[in-house]
Amino acid sequence: MSWREAFRLSHVAFTELSFQAIYAFRQGNLMPPGPARQVVARARRRVLQSKAVVSAMLALLALGVAYALRDAPLIASAFGTSLPLGIFRAGLLTGLFSLDVAFLWWTGMQILPTFLASGVFPVLEPLPIEDRTLSRAAGLLYLRLFDLPAITVAFVTPLLLGIALGPWVGLAALPGAFATVAFALALSLLTGRFFVRRVQGSRGGGGSAVVRWLYLVLWLVPAFAMFGFVTAAPAFFALLARVSASGPSIGGDLLLAAYPYPFAAVTALAAGGPGSLDLDATGALVLAASVAGYGALAVWSVLWLFLSVRRVGLVPATLPRAGAAPVVRLHPGTASLAVLRKDLRIASRTPGYAFLILLPILDAFALGLWTYATAPSAESALALALAAVTTAALLATFFGPAFFAIEVFAYSYGRTLPLSDRSLLTGKVALISLMYLVASTVVLGLTLVRVFDPIVFVAFVVAELPGVVAAALLELGILFRRARARGLPITNLYAGAWLAVLVSIPGLLVAALPLLAFQIERPGGEAIGLLVMALVAVGELAVCLPYAFGRGSG
Amino acid sequence: MEEDGLPLRLDALTVTYGEHRAVDRLSLVVRPGEIYGLLGSNGAGKTSTIKSIVGLVRPTAGRVRVFGADAVTESLRVKERLGYVPETSLLYDALSPREFLEFVASVRRLDAGTATARTQNYVRAFRLEAEFEEPILTLSNGTRQKVLLIAALLHQPPLLVLDEPLNSLDPRSVRIMKELLVRYVAGGDRGILFSTHTMEVAEQLCHRVGILDRGVLRGEGTLASLREKLAGGDATLEEVFLRLTDESEGVRAAVDALESHG
Repeated sequence: MSWREAFRLSHVAFTELSFQAIYAFRQGNLMPPGPARQVVARARRRVLQSKAVVSAMLALLALGVAYALRDAPLIASAFGTSLPLGIFRAGLLTGLFSLDVAFLWWTGMQILPTFLASGVFPVLEPLPIEDRTLSRAAGLLYLRLFDLPAITVAFVTPLLLGIALGPWVGLAALPGAFATVAFALALSLLTGRFFVRRVQGSRGGGGSAVVRWLYLVLWLVPAFAMFGFVTAAPAFFALLARVSASGPSIGGDLLLAAYPYPFAAVTALAAGGPGSLDLDATGALVLAASVAGYGALAVWSVLWLFLSVRRVGLVPATLPRAGAAPVVRLHPGTASLAVLRKDLRIASRTPGYAFLILLPILDAFALGLWTYATAPSAESALALALAAVTTAALLATFFGPAFFAIEVFAYSYGRTLPLSDRSLLTGKVALISLMYLVASTVVLGLTLVRVFDPIVFVAFVVAELPGVVAAALLELGILFRRARARGLPITNLYAGAWLAVLVSIPGLLVAALPLLAFQIERPGGEAIGLLVMALVAVGELAVCLPYAFGRGSG
Repeated sequence: MEEDGLPLRLDALTVTYGEHRAVDRLSLVVRPGEIYGLLGSNGAGKTSTIKSIVGLVRPTAGRVRVFGADAVTESLRVKERLGYVPETSLLYDALSPREFLEFVASVRRLDAGTATARTQNYVRAFRLEAEFEEPILTLSNGTRQKVLLIAALLHQPPLLVLDEPLNSLDPRSVRIMKELLVRYVAGGDRGILFSTHTMEVAEQLCHRVGILDRGVLRGEGTLASLREKLAGGDATLEEVFLRLTDESEGVRAAVDALESHG
């Protein structure tokens, strides 16, 4: 009886949560027009669409890996790898499970602040409902946030593996897929608690802001795994090659004990037969113990989730601390600068936005480090550095539209201030340009040691800057026009990924055009390439500027 | 733009949501040096009226003018001239009061010296020092309300639009606010539109009141003139209010019904 009641309660709570995720009413957004029933139905539909987008990406990933596993002999020989086939398969599956954990965790990060701020539990708690039912309702509500993506990882992934490689392989992948979902959900909740305590509740002031950004960097590094794994894949397969070449060893046993490799190994064994991993008795024992241990930990994680979600949802975000009264002093600036500072300050306490700012910079850092460590000559270092700047420009442009969504915070108050659209737009464009410039500076700093003459690099960064500004103006100009016609769009991953992606397409084209011009003209000399690139970028800016700031934009 | 010297003028303001008419041809003025109390039950149309003044709701018909500037066609000009305290304190939760006030001061183009001096005075008066660097997320409703009041007063606007501004404040802060508002208009060039359903507050503060009922202005004037016209010389504002909204009988019937159902 209590499970049925718990499911009913979780359904009601999920409707409220969908509404908050889409319309952010509790965060100060305006109530959307139209009958309440339609508005709520629209919110539920949008949440479903977003979950479907994430699930489709996870399914595509699984499909790709499933067929890569089936064609493993072909792929391995094409890449000339010396890895035994079983270990090659285990490596691919390790990548799949790692990416699944990172993706689910990232999704959780997007929705958790809304989940914790929704106030769903304080409303349910005083009602005469059994304790056990409330805990179950909280657990079910939490599971519903991830339902489609979690089902995709837990069941669709093994199904696809089963179809591609045979039913036993699908069955062997089930425990790994289940553990992946359990760990990702538990990690989301744990990091959500950490976020509320150390980041969202952190005091204002310069010192606290620096500590807060450091926490966010630390916290986002694992989520960066999605991106990082692709970059680190060659190094990982090189490690596997070294371990397999040395035969049974402590290194090999350690690998067998490190999640998610044991689950990947079991699935690879099912695909290739008992001898495919070349395990000795110790290795087999370590593998069995690891699978049993991680399996038990996954079951415990699910039980912990059901016990903890309610408690986490009830704890007040943070309480003001007693401390020395700060000096009351304000440093106002221009309206555009105020928008930029506000967005950075909000992002420093909102991980979804912090991630968007930090990803291009972390990516530039990783590629810059790679350039520093591996480039044998100044020429190849320059090529790698330019590639890093290109990625930074495209990432900053891709994530740009999402910053428009910060405006939903306190929108019903913010709109009563005399803030012109021009100032708002300038502040947002400044943020995107700043991300690009910071990322480029990081690359420059790391590669300066090898690139003795940074003039080409700096010229490249400067030539692309008008292109990045033009792309940001175009994207935000589209969103401003849409906001005036149909209300403020929400574009975080959970609530409206599709909109951010759609608006990003023309922006990415604009940002990419000068880069393309450089590549085309480069054979004629770098100076000509850079000149053409700058001309194209300035031309784009000349077109996008009047579009964004002109009549009709407000 | 026609500068008419009136802090606020509403001409036949109408606000509808779908089929529902929240405000129906409402006309009123707030004169210089005046605190005008907008009274009404829940759902009477007070907040819709205020939202159309501050630019959150576009009027379906009629005009809103602040010192002659039209709220729809000259919205930035209007917003520069008013300070607003909303009914619910939905603020930037991720900012501290300092960060929020710095944002407001920047948008209002205040210089650092003026913004700091005014903020120091208000923070001291409302005893906000300890919470000044805490994220707004962690603050109580009363403290959030104080932050909103400071933000509304920071640029010393010639028109204050306050929607239930004393809700959630502690008695000390309520007293400070009342005195402050009286002095704010004493110079004779500023005006305040003050929405409340607390009759005692309106009696103490407002020079004139307007009584809204289901979007329609049922009566308007000084308390003395309304008493004289409707309920006899010694009636309270509450009695005047109930008479104007035809609720005297309704209140009695509701209490009787509650008693009979135990």
